[in-house]
Amino acid sequence: MTMLKEIIAEVIGMFMGDARLTLAILAIVAGAAALIKLAGVDPLGAGSLLLVGCLGLLIENVHRSARPAAKP
Amino acid sequence: MLTWSTAAPALSAAFVASIVEVVEAFTIVLAVATFRGWRPAAVGTAAGLASLTGGVLLLGPLLDRVPIHLLQLAIGILLLLFGMSWLRKASLRAAGVIPLHDENAIFAAEAAQLGEAAGRQQMRLDWIAGMTAFKAVVLEGLEVVFIVIAVGAGRGLLLPAGLGALAACVLVLAAGAIVHRPLSRVPENTLKFGVGVMLSAFGVFWTGEGLGVDWPGHDLALLVFAALFLGAGLAASALARKPAMEIAL
Repeated sequence: MTMLKEIIAEVIGMFMGDARLTLAILAIVAGAAALIKLAGVDPLGAGSLLLVGCLGLLIENVHRSARPAAKP
Repeated sequence: MLTWSTAAPALSAAFVASIVEVVEAFTIVLAVATFRGWRPAAVGTAAGLASLTGGVLLLGPLLDRVPIHLLQLAIGILLLLFGMSWLRKASLRAAGVIPLHDENAIFAAEAAQLGEAAGRQQMRLDWIAGMTAFKAVVLEGLEVVFIVIAVGAGRGLLLPAGLGALAACVLVLAAGAIVHRPLSRVPENTLKFGVGVMLSAFGVFWTGEGLGVDWPGHDLALLVFAALFLGAGLAASALARKPAMEIAL
């Protein structure tokens, strides 16, 4: 039973290493999907936003994560 | 028709990612073998591999029933979550914010845990050693299975992705058999950085395709995405180093 819990925790941890990053990625994907499916935006335009959003998110998240860790 | 340019990204991503995971599993299996002998280590490893194979054989055919756009979207999102998480951690490690993965320390910790278990439950030690090897193979193997399915399933590239993972296993086991020590000299964070870049690029590509985006250049767009994620990862790492230096001063 303990091992099963560990395996489940490992699977969840694979995709949710940082809760804020996970939620932000899902929000970007949902935003791109809404632009295409609901607002009728050109899929390539929404795809470009998806790409730029993920790149920006990575830089912001790493920068923010470094701050509390750097405090004495 | 499968071409090299189509298969190469899936094969290389699965190969490099699998090296990282297999090295981690190998460290623990080696600790078990050193402490208790090769029999429980081999039995635990074989049971772990059999469980993973059974899971893949059971769930694999279900993937064929999922519509391709839905499959690409689901796998694309999972790849984005997985890849960006790896890239984030690798960037923070490269910046010195979190410590590097240390295979020698993991080896020592596993050996110490087995030693403690031996003191408590001498009779069941082979069982504990075998289960430790089993758990390591299943936990690390799960990530290998996910990566192979994720980079291979969306485009019928399961075979090259599987071959990449298999080649990584053979390489790590051959190196391990020669040196008989934890493979601590593998540049794990550099590999994780590279894998994070590739998986994130695959993630954006397939999430977009799942949403109906027709990327210019088709598969070649993957290379552009990978270059952009590499640049973003390096920039993030450099920025992460800065606040740490400011506070140190």
